[in-house]
Amino acid sequence: MAKEIERFGIPVAVLTAIPMIPLSVGASRVVRGIRVEHVCGDPRLSHELDRAVTRNIVATALRAVQTEVDSPTLFEPANAPASSESAHAS
Amino acid sequence: MSSPLRVVHYLNQFFAGLGGEDQANAPAQVKEGPVGPGRVLDSALGKGSVLATVVCGDNYVVEEKDHAVEAMRRALDRYAPDVLIAGPAFDAGRYGLGCAYMCMAAQERGIPAVSAMHPENTGVLTFRRNLLVLPTGTAVSEMPSAMSRLAAFARKLSSGDKLGSAMEEGYLPRGFREPVMHSRTGAERAFDMMMARVLDREFISEVQIPQYDMVPPAPPIRDSGRTKFALVTTGGLVPRGNPDRQVGGRATSFFKYSIGGLTELTTDDWESVHAGFSTAHLNSKDPSYVLPLPVIREFEDRGLIGVVHPHFYSTTGNGTPVTVAKRMAKEIAGELREAEVGAALLVAT
Repeated sequence: MAKEIERFGIPVAVLTAIPMIPLSVGASRVVRGIRVEHVCGDPRLSHELDRAVTRNIVATALRAVQTEVDSPTLFEPANAPASSESAHAS
Repeated sequence: MSSPLRVVHYLNQFFAGLGGEDQANAPAQVKEGPVGPGRVLDSALGKGSVLATVVCGDNYVVEEKDHAVEAMRRALDRYAPDVLIAGPAFDAGRYGLGCAYMCMAAQERGIPAVSAMHPENTGVLTFRRNLLVLPTGTAVSEMPSAMSRLAAFARKLSSGDKLGSAMEEGYLPRGFREPVMHSRTGAERAFDMMMARVLDREFISEVQIPQYDMVPPAPPIRDSGRTKFALVTTGGLVPRGNPDRQVGGRATSFFKYSIGGLTELTTDDWESVHAGFSTAHLNSKDPSYVLPLPVIREFEDRGLIGVVHPHFYSTTGNGTPVTVAKRMAKEIAGELREAEVGAALLVAT
């Protein structure tokens, strides 16, 4: 999906809980989300922290599409609250 | 070497009968003897048998990989099998990764391992060099034939005989080349191949080039604050009631829905029909976990995003064949270009 859109010259940030999957098939810009059931946030947190997690992820996506890459690249959301680190796929 | 084969088998929660996506977070457990399709494997093994079955939820195995693998190591130590057999995982990506992790854990212990899955499964794409994988299609109805091939392959692995090439033995190529003695020189063989090509006859190249469809990355945008962004999701997000009857898996269509003027997505108005993961959080709490509209609007207000395309694109990314996904993405990309969209955020579930 992302690759075909990038083929049209439009950079795409793929937000996913399992970065290995899009990276393995050659998506250029991949952003690590939280979990499959809640990629862009974390319902286990308070509303405020949950929203902060989402901001981090979306900000990372904006960074991704503004970054030159030459191969599939993983962008890790910076400063994620410690309690959201449960979702590492690697 | 003809003593009965002792096998440990790996299954995900679905094939082990624990449940569907609601059980995808199920932690590792070990069951005595064969479970579910393991019984088919057990009978395909003839005198051999499945001593134990290790089961993990599909989310658990990728999210808690270390714990999952540790459980497998303990089971391997306890049952000391001749071979580990994982799957088949068909085209299920998380399951395929789980099978790959388990096979690698066994191999580290000196125990041969084999899995079976679709050649495009992430497990193969990611770890092909480390794995012996028999190819399958996508249909679970292939289970009996896959199991008998796995059983035969496992016997071969445990026999200690040298494993032949991928082509001879029927596993997916790992990407290694091995020097062999050939009775005919390279020039002679190349000449034969050239003749076959010219005469339109079949031939098998000695240099197999992997058919990765690599797309050069699009150039970055300069300034997100001056860019029109589009939102795309494969999370099966649709207006509540699913007016277009989007499906929960193997989708062949995408739909676009207006978000003009919307600042958030409520469970009253939106739902996910995705059948490949548990949608409880999306459908009872907040659909924006697959389309982070509130934060997008906030960033738009703060000038971090220029403007948001007034429609978002939605499909269900669950068992969609690559060719279908490509076709949909091409159509979406065409529309985005027409709308002068500069960048896209794609939430993939």
